[in-house]
Amino acid sequence: MTLNTKRYVVAGLSFLFLASLLVVAYHESKRHREEVKPGPIVTATNESCVSCHRKDSAALVMEWERSRHAQQGIGCVDCHQAAEGEIDAWKHEGVWVSALVTPKDCSRCHVREYQEFAGSHHAKAGEILASLDNVLAEKAAGMPSTGNIADAVNGCWQCHGAIVKFKRDANGQVLREGKENKPVIDANTWPNSGMGRLNPDGSKGSCHACHSRHAFESKLSRSPENCGKCHMGPDHPQIEIYNESKHGIAFYANRDQMALDKRGDWVLGRDYSAAPTCATCHISSYMTPQGVFKGNSHDVGERISWTLRPVISTKLNMVVYADGYKEDYPEGKPLPAVGAQVDTKEKVVENEALVTKTVPRKVSQVVTWDQRRETMKGACLNCHNDTYVDNFYKQFDDLVVLYNEKFARPAQQLMDELKNDGVLKADAPFEHEVQWIFYELWHHEGRRARHGASMMGPDYTHWHGMYEVSKHFYTEFLPAVVHVAEEKSAALGNKYRQKVETMLNQLDHNWLNGLSPEEAEALRRMYKERYNQ
Amino acid sequence: MSAEGQVAGKGGYLKSLFPMDWDLVRHAGAEPVPYHLKKWWFCLGGTPLYLLVVQVLTGIALTFYYVPSPQEAYASVAAITNELRFGWYIRSLHKWAGNLMIVAVFLHLLRVYFTGAYRHPRQLNWCIGLALLGTTLTFGFTGYSLIYEQLSFWGATVATNLAEAVPVVGGHLAYFMRGGPAVGENTLTRFFILHIGVLPTAMFVLLGLHILLIRMHGVTELHFEGEKVTKEERFFRFWPEHATTELLIGVLLMYLLTILALVFPAGMGEPADPTQTPPHIKPEWYFYFSFRLLKLTSLHLSVALTVVGGAVVFCWPFIEEWLQRKYRVPESFSVVLGVIGFLGFLVLTVWESIAP
Repeated sequence: MTLNTKRYVVAGLSFLFLASLLVVAYHESKRHREEVKPGPIVTATNESCVSCHRKDSAALVMEWERSRHAQQGIGCVDCHQAAEGEIDAWKHEGVWVSALVTPKDCSRCHVREYQEFAGSHHAKAGEILASLDNVLAEKAAGMPSTGNIADAVNGCWQCHGAIVKFKRDANGQVLREGKENKPVIDANTWPNSGMGRLNPDGSKGSCHACHSRHAFESKLSRSPENCGKCHMGPDHPQIEIYNESKHGIAFYANRDQMALDKRGDWVLGRDYSAAPTCATCHISSYMTPQGVFKGNSHDVGERISWTLRPVISTKLNMVVYADGYKEDYPEGKPLPAVGAQVDTKEKVVENEALVTKTVPRKVSQVVTWDQRRETMKGACLNCHNDTYVDNFYKQFDDLVVLYNEKFARPAQQLMDELKNDGVLKADAPFEHEVQWIFYELWHHEGRRARHGASMMGPDYTHWHGMYEVSKHFYTEFLPAVVHVAEEKSAALGNKYRQKVETMLNQLDHNWLNGLSPEEAEALRRMYKERYNQ
Repeated sequence: MSAEGQVAGKGGYLKSLFPMDWDLVRHAGAEPVPYHLKKWWFCLGGTPLYLLVVQVLTGIALTFYYVPSPQEAYASVAAITNELRFGWYIRSLHKWAGNLMIVAVFLHLLRVYFTGAYRHPRQLNWCIGLALLGTTLTFGFTGYSLIYEQLSFWGATVATNLAEAVPVVGGHLAYFMRGGPAVGENTLTRFFILHIGVLPTAMFVLLGLHILLIRMHGVTELHFEGEKVTKEERFFRFWPEHATTELLIGVLLMYLLTILALVFPAGMGEPADPTQTPPHIKPEWYFYFSFRLLKLTSLHLSVALTVVGGAVVFCWPFIEEWLQRKYRVPESFSVVLGVIGFLGFLVLTVWESIAP
């Protein structure tokens, strides 16, 4: 081999070496760019907002600066822009803006998310404004004489959402103030970031409820505490149950392993494995043997097979309409055929009041309760096998059936009969003690038991749940039924005393009359052996 | 006139203070340089030396401020980068000169290998050159680990795990490198001592031997076909002709280093967190081939392949001689084997780089 040939070999390999180094350098710098968080981009449109508000509300601007919006150059005007003539709009420093950013505003970019959310349970959270809960807040804990409904405003509405209203003059015109003619918003209805807020533009909800402004961090909306703002307390203690569960324990021990701040899809079994959060099971993506199951649907009820909220739980089928609107069909209610035209009931705001409208819609899909459950199971199966998951659902179902059949259904039947006998009035839901007891029996204690079982919180299932249900059913509810009937008439009192006695003589309840000699002896022996008492 | 006066008369007063044979020094510096070295691309042997000088100077400057303790290492590098005047420049020069040095050593190795300059009687110098390459790579590895950021910390963890897989001595070697069963406080101190004490000493001793042997054997003359070189032109003087070429290359390198430091200044990753393994661990690019090999095979097989491959390259001049004696393999065998080996190295490096 001549030296010239060798020279070409050396030159060729050297060039290949340098080319390889360039490839390496390119990929390294690309990786580095991905790791380094880009800074905020202040576009010309937003420049004047940012320069003033940096002084007026410095932390707000700082929050925005660390958001992904800022990194993409999406700023104040992009979200707060409004059109001249809109009820909440005013011309601020030469630009038509609104303080209120609604899901419709967000949908200018996030179309899919808006549509999915609009059909969800969350979007309907404001419809509680016509519920017993709201009656309690506005009437029982309110002062109708002065119009003070502060309990509803500060309590219920901050989670469920308010109907956003404006102050009006005698002619019904929106009051405006200041040199910029800013509309005067009704302080009872805003600030409000309730999940089902009813906005002046007709949209429902508040994206901010989960995606807190102005940093809009993924890690915040994926964290269980975010849901715990509302899903907590005596009537729906989901966060407390989660914290008590193995899932919650694993989450708090391994929070740093959860990739909560991951950009884009956040997939169980691909991006993290340490624990599921609320979002994981209810809406997020997960791995399946076929690849990624695309969750992230913003319809939080999609995977729920039972409703655990009413007096008596029922399984839920779902009808999806061509325009994305969804309705739950309790099991037993006949399901429409795909393609059928159905008159749906939709609650909307008209003249700042919630009204029910009939809207004809075409059925595009029917999802049965067990199909919904299968979607939920897909997340479970990332960590557990079929038998484990199926047996969990068996345990959960049995608890719900137990609550339904032993306590809820008989209690509901007695309440219905009291109404039929004229003891209770349909329009006075909290007139008698029995009504309060019954309300707490299902709305607080019964839900705690059912939710406890649904998310594997043993203490909430039993001591905060079924124990309270049993104790109050026997010692408060049944005596209150007899008492309220007696108050009406002695004859009705006798009638209901007999009903209760008949019930208590049934196999499921007659334990109250005493245990069997063997059971009583076993109990005595246990206490003797364990505590010497 | 006294003896001292005679010395002073001949060479001046200063020579009397340092009475060495200055003619020998002059002779050592007057190495006849072969004609082919007039072509600048044959001067890559001097390039690492020049970069070494840059590394020594910038390294000393960095050592003034670097604190070799796990609690303060990262913060001190951050302070050098962000607070000290010209700190970022010195650190970037150090980073880039280190990288370029490895590139230059590889290029030098390519040239020496494919032109057969390692053959008798220069086999020993080839081995010393390989030892210099190993020292340079160890410099890079230990220096990267000193930053004590997430990637460098976990890179060190992987590297010591690799060392652990070396047959027979692996366990002891890994324990010695880490100063314990896992990468920790002792590891950083050890890497620091290696980086600023042991390796520079090894480097200068090996480099001294390398140059001494070059001087004793003379530089291999390369005659290109069809090139007419007169007897007078066969050699030219080291000083000033060759030294000027090297100086010019040095200036160009300084330009290149400054441009690299300006356009791609040395940055900082997340601080090292021994409790949290990052999703993607990557060593520095010159260990990519080994990392890819590790992913393609098993820990023990990849380490065994690397050790055996390194030993073969190290002993190649002697192996080739034995092959030629025993099997009469032609000279081109080395070239073909070298091309395959180096392309393999490049493929593994690029593969690791583009892999997610």
